[in-house]
Amino acid sequence: MKERKSVKFNLQQQQQQHHHQNGHLSPFKFAKLLDPEASWDKDQLGDVLHWIRQVVALVCGLLWGTIPLVGGIWIIVFLVISSGIIYGYYAMILKIDEEDFGGHGALLQEGLFVSIMLFLLAWILVYSLAHF
Amino acid sequence: MATAFLSNFNYSDSLTVVGISVCTAIVCEAISWVLIYRTTSYKSLKSSIDKASKKLETMKTDSNPSKLSLKKSKTKKIDRVESSLKESSRDLSLFKFKSGAVVALVLFVVFGLLNSLFEGKAVAKLPFVPARIVQKMSHRGLQGDDPTDCSMAFLYFLCSISIRTNLQKFLGFSPPRGAAGAGLFPIPDPKSN
Repeated sequence: MKERKSVKFNLQQQQQQHHHQNGHLSPFKFAKLLDPEASWDKDQLGDVLHWIRQVVALVCGLLWGTIPLVGGIWIIVFLVISSGIIYGYYAMILKIDEEDFGGHGALLQEGLFVSIMLFLLAWILVYSLAHF
Repeated sequence: MATAFLSNFNYSDSLTVVGISVCTAIVCEAISWVLIYRTTSYKSLKSSIDKASKKLETMKTDSNPSKLSLKKSKTKKIDRVESSLKESSRDLSLFKFKSGAVVALVLFVVFGLLNSLFEGKAVAKLPFVPARIVQKMSHRGLQGDDPTDCSMAFLYFLCSISIRTNLQKFLGFSPPRGAAGAGLFPIPDPKSN
């Protein structure tokens, strides 16, 4: 009886740990971000790539707006830079095999649309506030 | 003081639009939290989807083709997990539909409010000339034909997508990846009923 109880308790603990891993509250180790040996699961990698894209979008948007860069070509420049950073990050720093995660397409489109929107928003806002 | 600071800018309206849209996003997430995310049935559904999709992934990756007899039972098992995954994702999207209606109502009201505040006013200046299709939105209700004028609708659209999605992601409310295939309107499966 006691054994059963402890097994149950263990299971609960495991579930809790599992839950923590999935939630954003998990103790996230920044060292892992640069570690080529670390093992990644699909969700974690997706989240990390998503946030990197958002940060790049925000930085580019603010930068483009302050300089100010004008013209549609800069949207494409942003896309190239952002995708290049993402590709360089997972292929060169993490050195993961993209086939395990659904190919280049799946990794590169992670957070892509939202980051374009965020980039446009930052660019337009800074541009119209700072230069008019 | 804030208004004095804001009036220094020609396009201070854009900040108002962004501010309102941030508030709306927070309110919408709060509504969704009350209606969905805190309920135990949602939590159990989500964890079952996560588990099933992980299981499916591992089952698919470590398939061993040399054992023929095992293979048959394995495909059966995979099918079973797959169908249960499909069922749970359908339940999940039905579950979300309820709060989706409320959130849509809130968004609609806010859009109406913004429309009445900034109708026919350029709230921002675009640093590029958008394509003709996009111009329909970015130049909606504006006079004059300067293509770089930006109407409230376009700015609100950008805000609502970028802010809301990132907020959901940050709070951990975004739908589990395993259920990504299930759309808003799931096709009913006649077998399960």
